[in-house]
Amino acid sequence: MFHYIWSLINWYLRPFIKWVLRQTTHMCELQRICYGKPSGAPRTYAVEYSLRLSRNADIISLISYLDDIANQCAITIRSERGILEEAIRTVLITKKINPAAHPDFSKIFGKCVELIWGYRQLCVECEELRQIQYDSGNPVHEDLLLRLWDLLMPYDPLDARITKQWQGIGFQGDDPKTDFRGMGLLGLENLVYFAQEYPSAATHVLTHSMHPRYGYAFAIVGINLTSMALRLLKDGSAKTHIYNSSKTLPSLRAFHQFYCYLFYEFDGFWLESKPNNIMEFSSIQKKFEINIRMALANPSTVFRINLSVDNI
Amino acid sequence: MLYNCQNKRTKQFLRGLLAILRKLRSNPDKELRLLLLGLDNAGKTTILRYLANEDITQITPTQGFNIKSIHSEGFKLNIWDIGGARKIRPYWRNYFENTDVLIYVIDSADINRLEETGQELSELLIEDKLYKVPLLIYANKQDMVQSITTADIAESLGLHKIKDRDWQIQACVANKGTGRFRVGLQEYHEKVNSLTLNTRYKDVFKNISEI
Repeated sequence: MFHYIWSLINWYLRPFIKWVLRQTTHMCELQRICYGKPSGAPRTYAVEYSLRLSRNADIISLISYLDDIANQCAITIRSERGILEEAIRTVLITKKINPAAHPDFSKIFGKCVELIWGYRQLCVECEELRQIQYDSGNPVHEDLLLRLWDLLMPYDPLDARITKQWQGIGFQGDDPKTDFRGMGLLGLENLVYFAQEYPSAATHVLTHSMHPRYGYAFAIVGINLTSMALRLLKDGSAKTHIYNSSKTLPSLRAFHQFYCYLFYEFDGFWLESKPNNIMEFSSIQKKFEINIRMALANPSTVFRINLSVDNI
Repeated sequence: MLYNCQNKRTKQFLRGLLAILRKLRSNPDKELRLLLLGLDNAGKTTILRYLANEDITQITPTQGFNIKSIHSEGFKLNIWDIGGARKIRPYWRNYFENTDVLIYVIDSADINRLEETGQELSELLIEDKLYKVPLLIYANKQDMVQSITTADIAESLGLHKIKDRDWQIQACVANKGTGRFRVGLQEYHEKVNSLTLNTRYKDVFKNISEI
């Protein structure tokens, strides 16, 4: 009820407030945001909010055009510049902004557009990768899986493709193929990225997972963390981190890095919790997710892997 | 549309389950404890989520356990789904206490591990804490080409030798199919899936409503 009344007031009052501010500051709302808010998540959130509330027909069609492009994953390094210029031009014309008098606006606003729709595109890309089932008949998938082994266990080659050794890095059985399940190739790519880009952190975490008392299944926990990372990405919670950390168009790499952070932090959290046994995983994972969500609720949050690997 | 269908069918599914419960317990409590066990990748979490009417497309291997409470026809079903990985199986016994129905899930297409799953089941059946607890076996993944029938499973697990408790074996397809319906084009894939989903569920629930 309160929410309803508030949105009603907002609907009628917002244009009036905006008009008053425009008369007094001689700037439109987007300009005030771009100049007033600190860069990264606070500014990008505000631009996104303002654009989505706009009732101007040109802005509305610009938004649906950008949504379409992002949904088709058509924002690439090559096409990006044209798309951004188009968005900036539309806003300059609609809001009657003189680019000569406001040279910075175009740059700042373009950056926000890049982040907002890059994030949207990232959600689509991750979802597509998730839907690709691991297929042991596909040599690309197989190579990726074998690479994961080589990266994690460089001194212990596999005896066969199907072997008990897989359980050593935390798969459930002798053949990891069924363990990817609902996370598909995204789960595998996350693990490979972690092992490849942060070898010392991954080895550190893998060693912890073999702890006699507080051990856990490395790969299975990793796949469950892919699920958590994707959940945070899709419900928009991860925006804070992605908006603050991306210097360019957010790509799959940004998601992988987000994942690596979560894995590394979860490992520390798990050990700190001193669980009695592996059956406490779900409850500890839930607590961990609450902590991460709380951190992401702060608009200045940006996650960075802390690579000061201590000795066990 | 599909979601509504699932709702209706889930009720049907539960009704089948409740029919067993009523039959098995002359004076049923209002709150029941169901224990889902089986090897890894049998489909326990999918069945759990399916019964709770949740998304079943993003299942991950269970590390530890999941629990859900489902209210249906005046019953409160507390369903415990325990991970099936070999390393977790020693913890199964921690969840035996006060179990009203043991649901054992078998991947009917995983013929290589039929012996292993039979071994685990027979070990469960000699547990004191599960003495006389009724057993419902789900022969899951009946849609897979290589799956074997409930009769063959019953035969190879020697189910007819179970004399100390009520037991049932039930064919089912709890998930939306893996591998077989994968087609390169995403749209086509989705169409195929939603079609096969509908027809397959019809079959499954025809079976289940016959309990």
